[in-house]
Amino acid sequence: MEPSMLQMPAIPEIIQLIPLKNYLILSTALFVIGIIGVLTRRNAIVIFMSIELMLNAANLLLIAFSSYKSDPAGQVFVFFIMAVAAAEVAVGLAIIVMIYRNTRTTDVGFLNKLKW
Amino acid sequence: MYPIILLSVLGIVVLFLGFMKSKNILLPATLLFLALALGSNFIDWNQGPLLYFYGMFSVTNLTLAFNAIVLISAFLIVAMTRGFQDDEEAQPAEYYGIMLFSLVGAIMIIGYEHLIIFFVGIEILSVAMYILTGSDKRNLRSNEASLKYFLMGAFATGIMLFGIALLYGATGAFSLTGIRGFVSTAAGAQSYILYAGLLLLLIGMLFKVSAAPFHFWTPDVYDGAPSIFTTFMSTIVKTAGFAAIFRLLSHSFAGIYDFWYITLAVITVLTLFVGNVVAVYQDSFKRMMAYSSISHAGYLLIALTALTAQTERSILFYSMAYSVATISAFGVLMLIAKEKSLDGRPNESYDAFNGLAKQNPLLAFVLTVSMLSLAGIPLTAGFWGKFFVFSSAADRGLIWMLVVAVLMSAVGIYYYFRVVIASYMKEGNTGKIRVAPFYQIVLVAATVITILFGLAPGFFEQLL
Amino acid sequence: MNTTYLPSDFLPIVVQLGLALAFIVGTMIVTHLIGPSRKSSLKDDPFECGIEVKGNARTPISVKYFLVAILFVLFDVEVIFMYPWAVNFRQLGMLGFIEMLLFMALLLAGFYYIIRKGVLKWEE
Repeated sequence: MEPSMLQMPAIPEIIQLIPLKNYLILSTALFVIGIIGVLTRRNAIVIFMSIELMLNAANLLLIAFSSYKSDPAGQVFVFFIMAVAAAEVAVGLAIIVMIYRNTRTTDVGFLNKLKW
Repeated sequence: MYPIILLSVLGIVVLFLGFMKSKNILLPATLLFLALALGSNFIDWNQGPLLYFYGMFSVTNLTLAFNAIVLISAFLIVAMTRGFQDDEEAQPAEYYGIMLFSLVGAIMIIGYEHLIIFFVGIEILSVAMYILTGSDKRNLRSNEASLKYFLMGAFATGIMLFGIALLYGATGAFSLTGIRGFVSTAAGAQSYILYAGLLLLLIGMLFKVSAAPFHFWTPDVYDGAPSIFTTFMSTIVKTAGFAAIFRLLSHSFAGIYDFWYITLAVITVLTLFVGNVVAVYQDSFKRMMAYSSISHAGYLLIALTALTAQTERSILFYSMAYSVATISAFGVLMLIAKEKSLDGRPNESYDAFNGLAKQNPLLAFVLTVSMLSLAGIPLTAGFWGKFFVFSSAADRGLIWMLVVAVLMSAVGIYYYFRVVIASYMKEGNTGKIRVAPFYQIVLVAATVITILFGLAPGFFEQLL
Repeated sequence: MNTTYLPSDFLPIVVQLGLALAFIVGTMIVTHLIGPSRKSSLKDDPFECGIEVKGNARTPISVKYFLVAILFVLFDVEVIFMYPWAVNFRQLGMLGFIEMLLFMALLLAGFYYIIRKGVLKWEE
């Protein structure tokens, strides 16, 4: 069955009390915090956390739009983002552990074998 | 659709084959599986446009042709991987398995009809590449390349996802048709959320195909990764990535061409400039190839910016010519780098090529043909690739962009010819390099394809 | 059923929050005031119950813990695909059931691969 064929119950009015714009502002703020974190931090783990923040901002936005449109497709997308993000976490942490075992640090400053 | 299912299952089979005592079976098995996937790809040939997976994945002759390019490139690259058997640390079963899985991702983003398929496909492709980049576990350069690629790639994914979320908010759809339906309405042409979403999504995708100014990770990652996987990255990811961007722009956003074409034009010119000019200053052949791949992304972007009826064919031809030439260039590089290794590390500088032609006329010839093709000299496939791309831009009237592109190709001739000159003119003491028969077949096949399509580009059109 | 709520309807939550905070802050202040304060090297130990301290806590831990934790995260997250499937079990019917079996089979193939790789072998 096509995902959009599954009907979702209409959203309760209580959710609509908060305008959609607020969700948009909140998730944009989270997204920008994530970007700033990636660009300014030096520790690989913290950069990674900032990236996760960006992904979660996107998730929040998808959920908000999905609720307001009474359309489950957005929430299905969020499931996929979560699953894929977990796979990415696994690979990313494995890379960081590999580097830690070779150099005993997770600071990206040591990454100078290749000129930037 | 068939290669997706087949490759997913066969990838798992390769992983389990790795538990067998003898590692010798892995290479032939992987090649066999790739051939099977290539065969199954053509089951849908000439069946007209088909939709699979509840209308989330589409198959046309052109997407099948893109799949074929990706699969053939993978076949050629895998055929060059004999070296894994000599290496104690290497995990050949995992490498082959991951390569097969990554092809699944590539095929998914070539034919996606729904953004979920696109997202999952691009993640399968990228995550596989992060692992392969870092596969040389004890080598700090490989580690560093892997971490950089991972952080930048995940960053790009985040940007892309936010773009997709905004697009969904504006249009209420994830399918390309749904988005196009909204874009063509009066409200769609005015929606700022839509514009913001498209821009973020494009930035994320351009990151993955390393267009300037989002290219800064490319030289480091290409340089640090083991050469065989650099080849894989620079051919397959690029081909699939451009097919995906083309699909998004032509199927969904052709209606607001006036909005995005200026952005894309600026990025195109910047990419051409950065790729070609910085490549001149490199001392390492491998690093030069990384910048060369950025510059070729620029040429492909010209075709995207023009977006005429011929664009898909010109992208197809260009990626074919580029992939084949890149594979043979890296093939020769890997042989020489290993032969001339310094303190156990492969030597990838230009000097390693000095005097190559004396004892190894075949290798020098293969290298020359691939450099000519990359530079776009007539009688090679690369020339016609550039010709098609430039003519589609001329149809659109993007003359100023053509001027930049032609100037930059002239710059390109300089750095591509440096290595040819080194191998023919300079003095060096390269002994006879022993080339495994299979390896030789790959190099010769790539060269023949380059010359064949250089002499008769119409042949390619007839294949479609 | 009344589905509209006014901001004033959330007052009990605010009261509860205030009480919880007041309790924590209150007990902290009171114990500080009425408790006797003694200082000795024994008192400054992380554990007071008689076990000798053995070096720094921040030593490298075996990578096996990391592997198990990461694998747990991977397999744990896949469960989210079962929630929507379970909710729509009836509508999805037999085909949906077979698809989910296929999905689980692929996951189990991955699990079997992990076991064969020896990731879960602790004594080595």
